[in-house]
Amino acid sequence: MTHPGSRDDSRAARGQLRRLACAGAFLIAGSVLLVGRAGATGTAPEARTVDEDVQALKKELVDLNRDLFRLEEELLYPASTQVAVFLSVNLGTFFALDSVKLELDGKEVANYLYTEREVEALHRGGVQKLYLGNLKAGEHELVAVFIGKGPHERDYRRGTTVRFEKAVGAKYVELRITDREASLQPEFAVRQWE
Amino acid sequence: MSSPLVRRCWALLAGAWFALAGVPAVAVRDEPPASDLPPPSKIRDLDYGDVLFHFFQDDYFEALVRLEVSHEMGRMPDHAAEAELLAGGLYLSLGLHGEATRRFEAVLAGPVPQSVSDRAHFYLARIGFQRGYLEDAARSLGRIRGPLPGALEPERRLLAANVLMAQGRYGEAAQSLEGWTDGSDWTYYARFNLGVALVRTGETTRGRQLLESVGTMPVGNEEQRALRDRANLALGFALLQERQPDPAAAALARVRLDGPFTNRALLGLGWAEADAARPERALVPWLELRERPVLEAAVQESLLAVPYAYAQLAANGQAAEQYRHAVSAFAAETARLDESIAAIRGGGFLDAVLSAATASEAKPDDADRAGWLWQLQQAPDAPHTRYLYQLFASHAFQEGLRNYRDLRLMQRNLERWAGSLEAFHEMVAARELETARRTPRKAELLAGTDLDSLEARRAGLEARVAELVAARDVTALATPEEAARWRKLEELEVRTAALPPGTRRDALAERVRLLHGTLAWQLDADYKLRLSRLRASLAEADEALAEARRRRALVEQAGDLAPRNTEGFAERVRGIERRMERLQPAIDAAAAAQERLLADIAVRELEAQKARLASYATQAQFALAALYDGASAGGAR
Repeated sequence: MTHPGSRDDSRAARGQLRRLACAGAFLIAGSVLLVGRAGATGTAPEARTVDEDVQALKKELVDLNRDLFRLEEELLYPASTQVAVFLSVNLGTFFALDSVKLELDGKEVANYLYTEREVEALHRGGVQKLYLGNLKAGEHELVAVFIGKGPHERDYRRGTTVRFEKAVGAKYVELRITDREASLQPEFAVRQWE
Repeated sequence: MSSPLVRRCWALLAGAWFALAGVPAVAVRDEPPASDLPPPSKIRDLDYGDVLFHFFQDDYFEALVRLEVSHEMGRMPDHAAEAELLAGGLYLSLGLHGEATRRFEAVLAGPVPQSVSDRAHFYLARIGFQRGYLEDAARSLGRIRGPLPGALEPERRLLAANVLMAQGRYGEAAQSLEGWTDGSDWTYYARFNLGVALVRTGETTRGRQLLESVGTMPVGNEEQRALRDRANLALGFALLQERQPDPAAAALARVRLDGPFTNRALLGLGWAEADAARPERALVPWLELRERPVLEAAVQESLLAVPYAYAQLAANGQAAEQYRHAVSAFAAETARLDESIAAIRGGGFLDAVLSAATASEAKPDDADRAGWLWQLQQAPDAPHTRYLYQLFASHAFQEGLRNYRDLRLMQRNLERWAGSLEAFHEMVAARELETARRTPRKAELLAGTDLDSLEARRAGLEARVAELVAARDVTALATPEEAARWRKLEELEVRTAALPPGTRRDALAERVRLLHGTLAWQLDADYKLRLSRLRASLAEADEALAEARRRRALVEQAGDLAPRNTEGFAERVRGIERRMERLQPAIDAAAAAQERLLADIAVRELEAQKARLASYATQAQFALAALYDGASAGGAR
């Protein structure tokens, strides 16, 4: 008998479950034989009914959550005054993100500390809605301070300032962490979306 | 080897491969389609990126809600088809197969690129396979035209083979997997499945070779270790069935000592040794197994196997003692089963299961996520949860438990929203108050703003400019000082003309004419520049007027809309409140129905285990009686 290795993380285990779903139709003879459990090939009619009821209920709950989410946003952040700040990472190999501080017109509006899971989600292409708030039409100033580790594991702190014009519609500002290959340094870009 | 126990063992082994034809797939809900999502640099709608941010953290419910909001508000125009595919996958992760199917079919109804339609067909095929609709699954697979991206392509090949095998078309399945050696984990799964399929179709030599290759593959993670164990177990039992005990023992010995298949491997290893007429060596794995918790079937069987080996060694005293031990262990286990059945029938079963499962989570922050990883092997030894791991092997139980858990999570989610709803009511009320306060001020402001008169004045100015341009009236653009000088010179001209003729008058007239001419020349020289400035100024006035009109319209509109909007919000809040009031008891009812159903499944399963224990106990008692008979017959001789 061989000895076990180390445990893998939950993602690997989920991958395993997914593949077992495919391979599982051909469970080992001995395993099932000796457990002596005859696997049902279908779901009982009663189970199907309950499952169908639960599916319908879950769909209603998703719809309700959607309507609540939308109502909340429209009540708290109407499009005419809405401003949203997003954060994205493209490559980002020269910078390990720890936290981001946001100031709008000199007032701190967000100070976000990232978990490992969130940083991974950003690297995989997720875009974080870092701040959602309200602003009057006109000119405003946004200051973002990125804190983390730069090249060679050095502490890194970099600020970016952008002045933007808020019109009548919702305003999206994207903070983007990218790599500057030429200097092997991170780059912090800002893009405005209407 | 002629005891009833041994005869039963070989009879079971002989039929093992074929008895499996009806065994369902392990019931696991799929993850949404992550492997074919666009790379980071390709996100063109920030709101779609926001959905992915939650999706990549396995927070599927939040991702789905955000996706539905953004979809409804038209915020993802550049990712419409991708978003629809993702929605289908997310619904699938919640167990909503119907809605997921609808979404994938919606993708296919539109004009989408082949890469997207291929993926939609693939997911439909996967749903079809999981739900047992094999014809639908095969049809969807047949509609995929090109290779799928990334890890989906090997998964498609494996799925196609699995569908064929589930249809009993083992030969075609084997053919479809021939020559597949891309080095991915999927290859090993394919080899495993192909090995099993070949053994089933009678091509045992090739089948065993494939299982051997998986059973000796290099492993780097838990997933591969589990598959290797599984292949060795399958190979070992296939060889046992063919009465090849030594290679069977070699395969079974490769199974890890503390994996999910260890107990079954130990039992098989003992049978391999026993079949090779080495009962003393059979005792080694069986005695190890006998010390493990009795709740697993392999351990229960070892309680009968150990005395059988002692009997083979003619150690009848020890054999009798071990049979007696088995009978009392079966009785104790039966009592524990009765205790569990009573506890399950008493209610609160699923909440106990969930709290046990949550307590064994690897990461506490996963506890509230719909993409929940089940880790039930460490469930506590309490009546409700003692047999959880065994129950969980049942497809219906697993699905039902997940449904129950999803419902409870959603119930908590609704409770959180209920608090927000009160705040929404207050906000709407505050808005109404504010609107009432502002209305008189607005009316006053609107009444005091006469934009029409300003517009008329601006039109008058433009007409005057047109006139002066037509007449090239340079004096019209003079500064006030220049105009005063111009008027003074005109007055001097009149006064000079009134003087008596003479040289003095002529000299004066000449001087005035000269000054007049100089001023006219200056005004003429500045005319173009001044006219241009005037026109620019008029244009600015136009813009200012237009802005004033727009703002006034907004104020008027706000005045009109505010009460209606506020009332609209109030109605939406009330509507949602009514839905929540209806859904809360519906969740309780569905959860209760789910609990009743799962309790019935659990009790049926535990009753079956009791029946099996009773059968084992009977066999032990017969064997004991046979030993006593033999002993007394020997004594009589």
